[in-house]
Amino acid sequence: MSKTVKRSDEPIWWGLFSGGGVCFAVFVPAAVFFLALALPLGWIELSHAQAVKAFGSIFAVVFVGAVIALPAFHAAHRIRHGLYDLKCRSRSLIKWLAYGLAFAASVYAMGSWLISFLL
Amino acid sequence: MKTMEVRIQRYLPEQHSEPVVESYQVPFDDSTSVLDALNSIKEEQDSSLSYRWSCRMAICGSCGFMINGEPKLGCKVFLRDYAAAGTLLIEPLAHFPVERDLIVDLEQFMQHLDAIQPYIIKEQANGVSEMTPHKQTPAQMDKYQQFSDCINCGLCYAACPQFGLNPEFIGPGALALAHRYNLDSRDEGRAERMPLIGSEEGAWSCTFVGYCSEVCPQSVDPAAAVNQAKVLSAQDMVLQLFRRKK
Repeated sequence: MSKTVKRSDEPIWWGLFSGGGVCFAVFVPAAVFFLALALPLGWIELSHAQAVKAFGSIFAVVFVGAVIALPAFHAAHRIRHGLYDLKCRSRSLIKWLAYGLAFAASVYAMGSWLISFLL
Repeated sequence: MKTMEVRIQRYLPEQHSEPVVESYQVPFDDSTSVLDALNSIKEEQDSSLSYRWSCRMAICGSCGFMINGEPKLGCKVFLRDYAAAGTLLIEPLAHFPVERDLIVDLEQFMQHLDAIQPYIIKEQANGVSEMTPHKQTPAQMDKYQQFSDCINCGLCYAACPQFGLNPEFIGPGALALAHRYNLDSRDEGRAERMPLIGSEEGAWSCTFVGYCSEVCPQSVDPAAAVNQAKVLSAQDMVLQLFRRKK
C-alpha cells in the first residue's frame, strides 16, 4: 500500500445523501400526501392561482430544497452505489451522470422558483 | 450415535484443477462442533484434509469457514444446529484466495491491518519514550472497549460484499481496529491514520450493509465503527478546508 493516499470526495456526496435521507423521510411523504392524495381526492382545495402564488414565495425555496434538490442527490447516491454493486464498470461516468442529473433537476427547480419569485 | 452428511469443498493444488465438493458421514451428538467434525474426518476418514484451527473456544479466530454459506467459526457452531437441515456444507472463507482445502490466503487482510497501525502511537519527547504508566478512567476506556475485542478471524471480510468487489478496501475488521485506537485517550496517532481512513479505499468504500456486525463472533460491531469513522473523516475534511485558508 502506498503511503500517499488521496482524500476521497465522498464526504460531500455522503452529506447530501444524509440530508436527502432526512428529507425523504420527513418532507417527501408529506408532499406526496398533499399533492398526490389530498388534492386529487378533493380533501383540500388549491386553485392554480393560489399554487402559483405559493410557489413564488420565499418559503417555496425550502420546499424546492427539501422535496426536490436534496432527495434528488439522495436518490443519485443510491443509484450510483447500486450500479457499482451490480458491477457496472464505468464508475466515473455513472458518478457524473447520477450527480449530474440530480444537479440538473435541482437547478431546474431552483431556476423555476427564482423566475416565479422575481415575477 | 446419529450421523450426518458433511460436505466439504476440497482443493488440493497437486490433484485438483478446480475445487470439488466431497461428502463424509460423521457421527455426532449434542456436543459435536463443526470443528470436532473436521477433526474426526481428518483422524478417521481422510488425513489429507487441511484446515486451520487452534483454541477450540472462539478466542484464536483460526477456524473461520463458510458454513452453509454463512461465515462462522467452526468451534462456535454445532452439528445439532444443522440436524433439521439434514446437511452441512463447509467451504473456505469467501472473498479470499484459496490455498488448499479450507485454508485461505489472509495476506490482503494482514496488509490492511498493518496499514492502519493498530497500536498505541505516542509522541516521544526527545526520542525517549515515557516510562510512566498511561492512566485512563473507566469512562475513557468505555469509548473504545467494544471495538477492542476483535480476534482477527476474518469473518467480517467474508461477509462484506464491498471487500468481495474490491479487495483493496481496508475492510471492516481493520477499520474497526483503527477506530478503536483513534478513540483511545492514550493514543496520539489519529492524524497518521486519518488519511487512509478518509481515502476511497478506507471507510468510504463501505455502503453500510451491516452484515459484518451480524457475523462477528465477538460482537465488535465493525459496521458502527466504520460509520463513526466516516463522521470523523467528514469532520476532518471540513477542518482541512479551514486550515488551508490560513
